Amino acid sequence: MGLASASTASGAPEGMQLCIFDLRRGQNEGQELDKILFFYPADLPFSAQFSVIGLSEGLITFTRIFSPEAACDAIEAERHSHVFCEAEPDIWMVMIVEKSKEYEAMWRTDALRKVLKEVHSLFVMFHGSIRAMLDKDPGGVLARSHLYPFIMDYLGAFEKRSPFDECCWDFLVGKKLLMPSFRDCLKERGTVQMLTVGREAAIEVQSLVRVLESCAGTLPCHSLILFQDLLVSSTLSPDDTVNLFAYAVLRLTPRALSSGASSWSYLRKGTTSNVSSSSILSHSGAVPEQFHSLHDNSPAGDDSSHVIRPLKQGKWSKGKDGFLATDIWGAEPSTGVSATPTVFLRQTEERMFLCAHQHKSLTLIFLIPVSSVLNGEQGVSTVKQQVLESVSLKLLKVEEKLSKGWGGENAYHVSGYRYLLVDGDRNVSRASPPGKVITLSKESLLALSKLREEVDSEKSRAQWDSAGHEKELEVSIRAKNNAWVIARVTRGKELYMVLEKANETLLYASDAVEKFSNRYCSGAFSLN
Amino acid sequence: MTSETSPSVSGDEASDPKPSPEDQLASLALSETDGPASGSPRENNRHNEIESAEEEVQTNSAAPGLAVVENSGEAVRRGRIGGVLWARTNSEPEADGPESPSSSGYAGERGSSSASSAGSGIYEIAEVRDDEVVDGVSDSQAAWVPGKRHVDEDDASISWRKRKKHYFILSNSGKPIYSRHGDEHKLAGFSATLQAIISFVENGGDRVKLVRAGKHQVVFLVKGPIYLVCISCTEEPYESLRMQLELIYGQMLLILTKSVNRCFEKNPKFDMTPLLGGTDVVFSSLIHSFSWNPATFLHAYTCLPLAYATRQAAGAILQDVADSGVLFAILMCKHKVISLVGAQKASLHPDDILLLSNFVMASESFRTSESFSPICLPRYNPMAFLYAYVHYFDIDTYLMLLTTSSEAFYHLKDCRIRIEMVLLKSSVLSEIQRSMLDGGMRVEELPLDPLPRSGSFSPHLGQHTLPTDSPDGFRELYGGIGGPAGLWHFIYRSIFLDQYVSSEFSAPISSPRQQKRLYRAYQKLYASMHERGIGPHKTQFRRDENYVLLCWVTQDFELYAAFDPLADKALAIKTCNRVCQWVKDVENEIFLLGASPFSW
Repeated sequence: MGLASASTASGAPEGMQLCIFDLRRGQNEGQELDKILFFYPADLPFSAQFSVIGLSEGLITFTRIFSPEAACDAIEAERHSHVFCEAEPDIWMVMIVEKSKEYEAMWRTDALRKVLKEVHSLFVMFHGSIRAMLDKDPGGVLARSHLYPFIMDYLGAFEKRSPFDECCWDFLVGKKLLMPSFRDCLKERGTVQMLTVGREAAIEVQSLVRVLESCAGTLPCHSLILFQDLLVSSTLSPDDTVNLFAYAVLRLTPRALSSGASSWSYLRKGTTSNVSSSSILSHSGAVPEQFHSLHDNSPAGDDSSHVIRPLKQGKWSKGKDGFLATDIWGAEPSTGVSATPTVFLRQTEERMFLCAHQHKSLTLIFLIPVSSVLNGEQGVSTVKQQVLESVSLKLLKVEEKLSKGWGGENAYHVSGYRYLLVDGDRNVSRASPPGKVITLSKESLLALSKLREEVDSEKSRAQWDSAGHEKELEVSIRAKNNAWVIARVTRGKELYMVLEKANETLLYASDAVEKFSNRYCSGAFSLN
Repeated sequence: MTSETSPSVSGDEASDPKPSPEDQLASLALSETDGPASGSPRENNRHNEIESAEEEVQTNSAAPGLAVVENSGEAVRRGRIGGVLWARTNSEPEADGPESPSSSGYAGERGSSSASSAGSGIYEIAEVRDDEVVDGVSDSQAAWVPGKRHVDEDDASISWRKRKKHYFILSNSGKPIYSRHGDEHKLAGFSATLQAIISFVENGGDRVKLVRAGKHQVVFLVKGPIYLVCISCTEEPYESLRMQLELIYGQMLLILTKSVNRCFEKNPKFDMTPLLGGTDVVFSSLIHSFSWNPATFLHAYTCLPLAYATRQAAGAILQDVADSGVLFAILMCKHKVISLVGAQKASLHPDDILLLSNFVMASESFRTSESFSPICLPRYNPMAFLYAYVHYFDIDTYLMLLTTSSEAFYHLKDCRIRIEMVLLKSSVLSEIQRSMLDGGMRVEELPLDPLPRSGSFSPHLGQHTLPTDSPDGFRELYGGIGGPAGLWHFIYRSIFLDQYVSSEFSAPISSPRQQKRLYRAYQKLYASMHERGIGPHKTQFRRDENYVLLCWVTQDFELYAAFDPLADKALAIKTCNRVCQWVKDVENEIFLLGASPFSW
């Protein structure tokens, strides 16, 4: 038996449900099914799906009585949290997570909402908006057939093996989707993590970017450079940078390439029957009629109905020329050459070819407008060669410089501190390395998660109460376990911190924040 | 048939062979009433259904005459408590002579409440004022007018939808029982919607606690057949709003006891509104206290500051009385306790004190003559009625004697006379008046240095802590900027005593609006410190654009202090320590010690 049966058997109490529906659709009795654009798990009986959608729709309508400008954000029930996100006008995404003790299911609603926002942003980047798809195909088949594999592939990233897996990879039975919990309170989804570079390296990077721009000639070309999983430079708008960065970290960086491969190997251990990229797809083996039109395992270059799955795992590989290649986008029928991926830029609403080149730890992504490349794939590969020729030397140099200055995965560890620093204006964050965060006790993490929830609500209130007026807040809590849990919000920047082995006095804690702020935040959180 | 559908959605599940969530939540289309997007025929159809349902409900309730309703309500109450009561109707035949107790507060209000819904002139004025002030702009305790507002509104009114805080009580069949704003009967459709949400989630094997939408929170509390809902766009945390619903439920139990549940067991469509007729003022004053009375979130009571000997004298006579078969004897001045005494092993929960004093103070009729009224203390015994003898000694000071016997009126009256004599003789009553005038602890008077303690904090109690004998001059020293180190206000809660002391409001927390804002900030701080599952935290420092707040929770006490937002941290901490020392130095006067009925 393959994975499918094993996971279906354990799939009974589902930890998470996710649905997307269109409020405009299915207005008449008997047409409710038409509302649903996506539902996970897909094998949930329709009656249960309808009840989720019915409640969501009902509460959206209900809350608009009092809050016409902002309908339902979340429902907290004893056993579940429902998180709402109106991704596009009338297109709602709702995630329902179960509060089970087993998985320490305590989370921030905002962290969950960011998951919804991220998957939607990525979807739009590759496929355009859901509304546009529905306009193109009012029947909804197009939208559904794209949403289903896309979100399933995305959710694969949250698929955690059972806790026993740490010691024994064979326990795949207790598989569940684990959404961000309180343990992730020192992370911020939807932000970019930057590499700090020295002055010299920065100059090298600058010149590399300039060369990139110039070699594209008159083409309005954009570039994004990553070192490991950290951003070095971007010429894209902040929104587009966040999206492309997220995609790169998920699928393109050296770590993503290798982890895709390695997770492949242990996920497939002993099973050869089911080779869909993510076992989550096989998990929901029973795909209802509305998804039947989809060919999830169809080989590349199948036919016009082929659905592109940009998040499909293990589909990217590095070629000899250093360019990253994938057959996700199919191939040109005439030549058999893999088609170059394309993305939509949010800012310019332009369709761009996405080319990625990798040299050791350095990933270079450049985007060329589809409209400016005349003869298809051939044209793209010409541009690629041109770029490679003109930047390869610089690339080596930059990689060398960055590698030399790179402090390893604990580069941004600050001894004694566990922190998260978010610059909301620039969508940038920096945090203690995960390996250091796990040393914190559950109590400290819970306390910080709760504090962040408070700050989230203060921020959103400030946003409703006085647009443009930014929240200023400083909170230091000494928790029951004697850890200091700290939040600072000032001028669009946020700092969260846990100090576990700190002195009992408030002044000591404040002093520690002050030192950190002066040293690592150029005094952004300092009081003087 | 149609008339029944909307108000009791759960009811038609049985009749409907294939209930779909759409049907169950059909009434949620309420907002379409005047929404611009009510285009589709289906929406209009839903809307019509609701409207017709509302009409039905109104005629239903109009059908039995007022008298009938009252009588049936009376019957229910009496049936349950199994005894003839003094109170509850104005036409009590037992009433003999001027000496007899009047009816209890809410029974007396009953007639006037129906009059007020017709819209008397006074009421309209109150409404206008409320529009301007209560919902956040500049309401004050002084400006607050008890009773029900906006009776002309319903969920179709824009003004109603924009109210900052709604509270609803409804039955599990969706029948409205109480609404803070608007006429319950007109809100039948809305009430059915709330019921539909609760039962829809319940049918899915879950229980809805909270819905968030922008600034709004909808908080649900299910208590057997009684549903309570709060819809608020204030910044109060969920935990605080839920506690407020608990208190509202407690207030309802205080009036009816939990045995009202049996009425719903017998008849799920039981209409409870007549039982609560005239109690609008009680609920509205409780709700008002959610914006000024720290007892509502601290779960502690506060005492009127008095010299130790004075309070002792009051306690001694109350104790005397308690030994003669009185369950609880409580002497209060407004919401502050002067002294309280309980029979052996009986202990009084601070929430019960809050609800009882609210009930008494809100009901105008208690003020006019001595009264004997059945009440229930929900934390003491939610199933049973006690009997409260209430007498006002002056405009603010009142005595409550609680007993289990419905026959005890004359005995309690004798007790009261004895108490009154002693209080007058020992000039306790005049001391109370003086304390009222002088007020409590003031941040400006916080002792500056650890001089030998005098054991007294305020000039009117004799010794003064200040070297100078002119407190007014001293206050000027700070020029209306509060106490030392920018201390603006504090609340100290003694955990063992279940009591708190709150400093007097002084500049710059002088306007009611600022006071309410500070109150809300404390409330938030309390919720944050007592976060469920991980709390209580030990210390919290919080600085925003309005305040520096410091909170300190130990095994013995909790201190909440508000400072100028620019206050220096180190100085603020020092000042907090001094506040704690100060409170300990004067605890004899600000707290009720020893003589209380708590069993520790």
